Amino acid sequence: MKRSSRSLPISGIFRRPDTGPFGRLSTARWSVLLTAVVISAIGVGTVGSASSELGAGYFSRQLVWVGLGLVVSFVVLALDYQRLASLALPIYGSGIFLLVVVLIPGVGRVRGGARSWLGLGSFQVQPSEIAKLTTVLLLARFLAGIAGDRLRTREILVAVAIVALPMGLIMLQPDLGSAAMFVPMLSGMIWVAGVRWRFVVAAGLLGLCIGGAVWTFGLQDYQRDRVLTFMSPERDPHGAGYQARQSKIAVGSGALLGRGYEQGTQSQLRFLPARHTDFIFAVLAEEWGFLGVLVVLGLYGTFFFNAIEVAARARDRLGILLVVGVLATLAFHVLYNTAMVIGRAPITGIPLPFLSYGGSFTLFCFAACGLILNVDYRRYVNR
Amino acid sequence: MGRVRYLMVLLAVTLTLVVANYWFVQGVQGADFRQLAENNRLREVPIQAPRGTILEREGRSLAENIPSYNLRIDPSGTADLSSSLEFAGEILGVDGSTLGARVAAQPDGPVRQTALVAEDLSLGQVARFESVGLEHPEFAIDVSQQRLYRHREQVAHVLGYLGEVNPAELQEKSNPYQAGEQIGRRGIERQYQSLLRGERGERVVIVDSRGRPVGDYQEEQPRAGENLRLTIDLDLQQAAQRALAGRVGAVVVLDPRDGEVLVMASSPSYDPNLFARRLDADAWTNLIEAPHQPLQNRTLQNVHSPGSLFKVVMALGGLEEGIIVPETRVFCSGAKKYFGRRSRCWKRAGHGWVNLREAIKKSCDIYFYDLGQQMGIDAIGRHARRFGLGEATGIDLLGEKSGLVPSREWSRTVRGHPWYPGETISVAIGQGPILTSPLQIAVLMSAAANAGPRPIPWLGEEPSEHRAPAEYASRDWQLVREALRAVVMDSDGTGRSAAVPGLTIAGKTGTVQVVSQQTWVKSEDLPYAERDHAWFASYAPVEDPRWVVVVFVEHGGAGSTAAAPIAKEVYEAILAKSPDLGHLPAS
Repeated sequence: MKRSSRSLPISGIFRRPDTGPFGRLSTARWSVLLTAVVISAIGVGTVGSASSELGAGYFSRQLVWVGLGLVVSFVVLALDYQRLASLALPIYGSGIFLLVVVLIPGVGRVRGGARSWLGLGSFQVQPSEIAKLTTVLLLARFLAGIAGDRLRTREILVAVAIVALPMGLIMLQPDLGSAAMFVPMLSGMIWVAGVRWRFVVAAGLLGLCIGGAVWTFGLQDYQRDRVLTFMSPERDPHGAGYQARQSKIAVGSGALLGRGYEQGTQSQLRFLPARHTDFIFAVLAEEWGFLGVLVVLGLYGTFFFNAIEVAARARDRLGILLVVGVLATLAFHVLYNTAMVIGRAPITGIPLPFLSYGGSFTLFCFAACGLILNVDYRRYVNR
Repeated sequence: MGRVRYLMVLLAVTLTLVVANYWFVQGVQGADFRQLAENNRLREVPIQAPRGTILEREGRSLAENIPSYNLRIDPSGTADLSSSLEFAGEILGVDGSTLGARVAAQPDGPVRQTALVAEDLSLGQVARFESVGLEHPEFAIDVSQQRLYRHREQVAHVLGYLGEVNPAELQEKSNPYQAGEQIGRRGIERQYQSLLRGERGERVVIVDSRGRPVGDYQEEQPRAGENLRLTIDLDLQQAAQRALAGRVGAVVVLDPRDGEVLVMASSPSYDPNLFARRLDADAWTNLIEAPHQPLQNRTLQNVHSPGSLFKVVMALGGLEEGIIVPETRVFCSGAKKYFGRRSRCWKRAGHGWVNLREAIKKSCDIYFYDLGQQMGIDAIGRHARRFGLGEATGIDLLGEKSGLVPSREWSRTVRGHPWYPGETISVAIGQGPILTSPLQIAVLMSAAANAGPRPIPWLGEEPSEHRAPAEYASRDWQLVREALRAVVMDSDGTGRSAAVPGLTIAGKTGTVQVVSQQTWVKSEDLPYAERDHAWFASYAPVEDPRWVVVVFVEHGGAGSTAAAPIAKEVYEAILAKSPDLGHLPAS
């Protein structure tokens, strides 16, 4: 198996400039973390406004989550990603273990109709968030080990299997939104690892078939309802269409400059559902208008383009794949959530990275951030 | 791995798409969505305008508003709704579960805050709920306006009543009302609905997504309805209604000079206050099925043959047509054959030779049979219409019947057979196919009181139009008016029982046969439904007429014995109110 030069991920600098201990750190793309922190700060403020009538609890808790997230990102940064990759299989295994455990009635806790929470005392985590990272790790390791720049069918099938296992377990909870996040992860990673165009076409067709099968057999009634309602929101203005409609009204009523902090009537008078979690962006859009939307989307853009730069100059195939895996997942969260909030996508429980309230998800986002920095920090041969 | 760069392009394109979509929603459609957000949070709550009060001519209240205390509950303010309602039921003396059913049946209004538990609480009950305000914060007392008709049955038909606007009316294009609004259903309440109603105000409240009010946005005060002063004289009205008690009939008192209606009494009557509360089905059925239809305003909704009252029209018509002169005499033997059929005078023994004055005074039928035979039905009808018979008087009340004045053409086109000459003989004494309401008779009598001018009766607002006067030669008028005076004032007049010391009255009795009798039978000896209707129509004082009093008693018997005494009671009430009348020259 001959490794083609094109597959070599090295983008230029092979040796770290000798700049001392702080200089070493300064060579990483800190702007990735910086944008994440800025978005999180906006998020904490917006959570505060969205939950103003629920008391200060959400604001301070989210503040703690962001602080913990920063710690997590540094912990992830501290562990050499190649070392992590060597442990990918047991790590993946423990992720799967948690996904199985959470399905056991009495152990996993049900929230919002899905058994997706594990309680550790008063602390609760969503194993699906952990599984996103463990799956990226194993998938990256597997794909990085394949020589050549074109994947063979067998290799693609293994990659699909690595993703399908946690995805299937999450669908059993059932949490369709979280499960769906594995699709962009897989697609992005095998695309970068080298997939033939004909596979892309075949996958598209297969996707349609699976989509049809899932629609017919795999969806709960409420899920089908959501999709139908998404297609025509007038179908049910008080039921499933209500959220979509109220969210769109919130966003639209923000107009260009917004209604001001804590002045959005849609969120303050509780017309908007899931204000501090999945629909946080509607609160932001109502209070800060198109201007606020531009700023936040600009921050996300900056985050993603920096991440892609990190991938582009990573030292090896493993690094590229890790960055692409988490990047694709995070980017899809952002794109799907922002589309959902203005009724351009069916409503499903997909939060907005760094903005939405939620412990596990915030920690996942910062861990992903740490992983990106990890890859960048270790791009030199002379560590 | 150049494919990473593709990701850059893909992300750039999709992020641009997202931005473009947000631009469309916020930049392009922003104003529309802002409006939708406002519609979401703002609710308009109507504030009912107090309805105008209705007064009688001296300013005494006939219809007014009183506060009514309603108990409301905020279901979200109590942990256990049914025990709260149980508690309320104890105070109200009703079963808690019936209150629960009522609360559950209420739809969400524009502002969902409270549900109506009970209406029309007593002050004692209100005090009890106020005293437990701390333990039961879910209860609230609200005050609404309820109509009060202080004089109940005595002014019922004039005033009418209110009723809730119904769904069909709410569907109408130009409907100005809101669900639950009380609007005038009958009488003055209906006729002057738009005047009395005023204009409702509006409170705009900010509500949250559950419809609970969280603040006020703006408030527009209602404009109260206008008060309305009627021409009704409460004292006379009550006297007339009292005089009618136990009878089926009507009394109208008009001021002949301008048509002001002083009395409009109808019996049996009803209590319009029944309608001020939610009228239950039983009460409604009772009213509808009660004997003699108490809801009917018999002064203008029921028409009957005028009987001998019609002789006033016949006399003036005959004089003008030149068929008779004042001196024309007819011999009355008690009966005479016309068109092959024997017609009787009411007086079996006959009146002997009578001239016009005596024929009116004694109400001789034979004289007018002769006159009618010569005039013919079309001429009779022409003169009847000069007095406004056969058409609505134009009073400001809905539902007035126009009655019937026959003609040969009417017989052909409406009845479908030719006019029988024998019918003319009946009509000549006001029997048969000629129908009038007491109000029409009051107008006819006003024309007699005024010697021609014929007012439009009114209660609320003086009409601007005028009716053509009943024009006859003043000498003819004088003769007829003199004869009418003799009816009451002469000791042998048929209307003698209406006479009141100190007042000069002119009038005419009328007795309408309900069933054609071949022999002379006393009305009192017949079953109720076959007894004669009694009329008495009059004006006073003769020298300067200020009152026209018309009495109609259904199946009452003879006009002279059943109707005239009621008129006398009314005149006594008039005298009691106007002691200066005693100084008028009496004869």
